[in-house]
Amino acid sequence: MKFRNKGFRRFGVGFILSWSLIPIYWVINTSFQTDAQISDTPSHLLPPTPGWANYKALLIGDGELPSLVRRSVINIFIECIAATAITVILASLAAYAFARMEFKGRKFFLFVVVMTMAFPTYTTLIPMYRIMAMLHLVNTYLGIILCYVSGFLPLATWILFSYMQSLPAAIEEAGSVDGASRMQVFRLIVLPLTMPAIASTAVITFLFAWAQFIFPLVLASDQSTQPLTVIVAAIQGRHVVPYSLLSTAGVIALSVPAVIALLTNRFIVSGLINGSVK
Amino acid sequence: MKKKVDLLPYFLVSPLIIFIICLALTPAVFTTIAAFFKVQPLNPPTHFSGLENFRDILHNAEVRSSLGNTFLYIIIGVTLSTVLGIFFAVVLQRRFTGRSILIAVLILPWALPGVVEGILWTGIWDANTGVLNSVLKSLHVIDHYQVFLGQNKFLTILAIEVVQVWQITPLSTILILAVLQNIPDDLYEAATIDGSDAKKSFLHITMPLIRPGIAIAVVQAIIATLNIFDQPYILNGAASTGNSLAMETYAVSFTNLNFGQGYALSLLITLFTLFTSVVIAKFIYKKVEY
Repeated sequence: MKFRNKGFRRFGVGFILSWSLIPIYWVINTSFQTDAQISDTPSHLLPPTPGWANYKALLIGDGELPSLVRRSVINIFIECIAATAITVILASLAAYAFARMEFKGRKFFLFVVVMTMAFPTYTTLIPMYRIMAMLHLVNTYLGIILCYVSGFLPLATWILFSYMQSLPAAIEEAGSVDGASRMQVFRLIVLPLTMPAIASTAVITFLFAWAQFIFPLVLASDQSTQPLTVIVAAIQGRHVVPYSLLSTAGVIALSVPAVIALLTNRFIVSGLINGSVK
Repeated sequence: MKKKVDLLPYFLVSPLIIFIICLALTPAVFTTIAAFFKVQPLNPPTHFSGLENFRDILHNAEVRSSLGNTFLYIIIGVTLSTVLGIFFAVVLQRRFTGRSILIAVLILPWALPGVVEGILWTGIWDANTGVLNSVLKSLHVIDHYQVFLGQNKFLTILAIEVVQVWQITPLSTILILAVLQNIPDDLYEAATIDGSDAKKSFLHITMPLIRPGIAIAVVQAIIATLNIFDQPYILNGAASTGNSLAMETYAVSFTNLNFGQGYALSLLITLFTLFTSVVIAKFIYKKVEY
């Protein structure tokens, strides 16, 4: 059926591509230029003398800046991977109970989960800091990871719950007739069937964790635990750092989520839809 | 016979519930109570102060100006992200070659940290090296480079909000597209037979039926724009042009170390968010039938 002309689609496709890609292309382009080249008028559409100088300056050597950046890359991986793993495990256990078991308080607990999803960040920021300070968890990996898990757990549970609920119960009943315990049914039947939703949840949680800024800014007071995002902002805050290095830091920080998003966009889309339609 | 209580489900949900109680509900209750106390670590003791924090915070000139700024962020952000979201979703409505690659590209900005987006767009808005100035000058639209950020308040807010719109529009698109794809083709076919053109079909079939998708998109856009922090923090730094409510909350609490006022402001933001989300959802979100 053709009710819409080809011109509209062509314009739309062109618009989406340029809207999404031009800013990303531009930062990559500048990361391969010197500061003098970046300041040239008109701007260079391609790097005139492409080279890895900016990347080497940020990542290689014993200087203060490269050690800071390397450390923050390690930190962000530790924090994101740990938060994602804990979130996915705890969320799938809870989602299984909500989707497949009858118990007193089930409806109430589900309501609480949905309600906490609507809390804006700033409701919890200051008390979160004070609780972590009380527990001596400021500036520790554990403090940051616990904070992330608490933030992402409700959404993760909701995505997995809505997915598990849509699975036909008949398959599991066959399993329990064969004498399998409920946890065996979970491990051997439900979990493998839920894999697409688990992948969605893991990817979305990882990307959310990678993007965090204000919580680690408050909870990580020195470079031993500060993730890449906080360091990138700190580099930006020092006025001596030229834009060539800043854009390179930006490219380093966006490379991981960009590659993940391109490779797993199907899971992201289905997860976002599952997580939002109530 | 006494029925034994099934403990397994409680065991399975307990980690989730413990996390929610300790690190979401407790902080929320804490915020609500402490908003009525004077809490200043550098100026003890802490004591009950009634509505004083709310009074002080609402008389604070910077908070007031950030309130106005945030209102602008919300209006610009919600309008742009919704209009673009509807446009993108309509482009992606039917299958065509390369559609899944286009969706992957569309998602990209959503996946990137706000801090990084601030840096990306610095390269576009910058007054000395920004590509926008370069392009506008080459096209002879401007004679000399313009300052987009930090001088004119409205221009600053617009430029910063475009960066956030870049980040949140993919989610709006996906939410609207999910509803759009449920509209049966027959409806469009029947309309075409009855002599409807693309414009009429869009106005009389698409728009009314995607209302639930728009409602969710609008609510998520309000929550995101109301909490804008990373983008102005990076793009405009400590300059007070375009300060958002979230930045003011951070400054009051962690720069002025006046936690009591910080709690009061957080509480007001939270109540406002919950209130608008519910109203908008009620107003736009009505079940549609095909």
